[in-house]
Amino acid sequence: MNSLRIIRLIAGNTFLEAVRQKLFLFLVFIAAAFIVSSFYFRDLDFGFSELKFISDFGFGAIVFFGSILSIAGAAQLFFNEIENRTALTILAKPVRRIEFILGKFTGVWAVVLAFTAMMTLLLMAILWYREGILMGMERFARDFPEGRKVLYGDILWVGFLQWLKFGILISITMIVAGFARTNLFTVVISFFILIICHLQYLARDAWAEIAFWPARMGVAVMGFAFPNFQVFNVGEYVALYEPLPWSVIGSLVGLSAIYIIVYNLLAVVSFRSREI
Amino acid sequence: MAPAIEIKELTKDFPLGLGKYKLRAVDHLSLRVEQNQVFGLLGPNGSGKSTTMKVILGLLTPTAGECRVYGLPSNKTAARKEVGFLPEAPYFYKYLSGLEMVVLMGKICGLSAARARERAWEVIEWVGLKDAARRRVGTYSKGMLQRIGIAQALVHDPQLIILDEPTAGVDPVGSAEISSLVLKLKEAGKTILLCSHLLAQVEDICDHVAIMNKGRCIRQGPLAEITEGQGDTEIRLDQLPEPEVEALRRWLGERGIDLRQVKRPQLRLDEVFLREIGKADLIYRQGSESVQLGSQVTSDKAGKDSENE
Repeated sequence: MNSLRIIRLIAGNTFLEAVRQKLFLFLVFIAAAFIVSSFYFRDLDFGFSELKFISDFGFGAIVFFGSILSIAGAAQLFFNEIENRTALTILAKPVRRIEFILGKFTGVWAVVLAFTAMMTLLLMAILWYREGILMGMERFARDFPEGRKVLYGDILWVGFLQWLKFGILISITMIVAGFARTNLFTVVISFFILIICHLQYLARDAWAEIAFWPARMGVAVMGFAFPNFQVFNVGEYVALYEPLPWSVIGSLVGLSAIYIIVYNLLAVVSFRSREI
Repeated sequence: MAPAIEIKELTKDFPLGLGKYKLRAVDHLSLRVEQNQVFGLLGPNGSGKSTTMKVILGLLTPTAGECRVYGLPSNKTAARKEVGFLPEAPYFYKYLSGLEMVVLMGKICGLSAARARERAWEVIEWVGLKDAARRRVGTYSKGMLQRIGIAQALVHDPQLIILDEPTAGVDPVGSAEISSLVLKLKEAGKTILLCSHLLAQVEDICDHVAIMNKGRCIRQGPLAEITEGQGDTEIRLDQLPEPEVEALRRWLGERGIDLRQVKRPQLRLDEVFLREIGKADLIYRQGSESVQLGSQVTSDKAGKDSENE
């Protein structure tokens, strides 16, 4: 119980620090501007598919800026503690290193939750507004025979799943930060890993065709060590007005939980031997 | 009663690169800090003081030997419950007010929200920062930072307080105030481990010291023993006139004792400074409330050369 209290206190303080940073406000502003700007592409007369465009554009902005916030925010908030020596003050108290790492992780993840929630709600509002306009237009009225088609509940689910993906990304950044000496190194390496995670499916596809067993083993290990971020691209369901299957939600929640737990434990191991 | 700190044969090596070479920061150090002592840990830069402090705080694991705090291994979290720490040149969370920062530290140390707030006000008032409590820490001067640092170290009412260079970058008034706070803590029954380069300050407030060099403890013990002059006897008298000095010299000479030095005691510059700015109440030295003007006589029974000043 005491550990949970300490994690909550460190997380709360991390959240407070993050929301007072210009980076967070800047990303919120830019991402919001991107999502809102999609609304003005109606001049291109996308017609009914305009809603798909707004949805894709909105989720793209959430993923792009959310990834930046996850990596840069985690690295910045971790190294602030190291460089300003506040970690020394905290860890000289009855605080375990695992509590410190989990507190920092939770704080950054809470910041990303605020970001993802704001952007998802903004996207929903824009889709709702535009869908209402299209429904009132004579030439598109036949596309809405049963009223609204966009599944707004599923948009929330997609936002939630993106937040889980950001949780994995924050955990990865915490592992790197645990042994890295500089903020820049942490950010660069974490972005490389992000790219690996997005392209990891290529390795999985190649795996079946590799005959040389050590290479096959290596690819298999890579496949497990780095999560496949492509499986989080579930925005298509929303764009195609298809309900998000529960099996997909369940598998992604399970996958995220496993990676977040394992990566955070690795982050603790990485941080344990670090000299403060 | 367990000592506040007990270090036995402590050795700490740091690996240099990936090779087999290691830097030995602390080399077979043994120390014992009893409860209610003000213990000064002295030494030049790189002597191993900070490493020793980090081992005491559980921030580093010893390569060999052991370190206990109130009988508990220092690497256990429970050992830090009775420890308050002021790091050197503290940079606290600048976006918090002094009060918020101390409350946060109190909560982290296990105090309830209400108790942490109550204690925060107590210690903030105690260190003289009540008026600035609601200001952002980022706006504090160095002296104020050190004082809020002491407040956060004391918020959970620890028995052992570790102060790393508490007067670094602080003006003479702030430095004297911190010395005064340390002595108040001793009066309150606390144990203080002080690491400082200001030897005059250490001499004023510490009752025990250990001198480290190249990772080893080269001397330790009660301050009075360590600083005691060998062979000489010092007598202080009120304004001894010159003829009386000569009479004293003859009288001592008849008994085979050389009067080596007669002089008026010097005030230290920091004492003069504090007197001039009306802060004489902050002057303190071990064993005396303040320096008294008068004559100081030093004699050496075995001395051959006698000298008058």
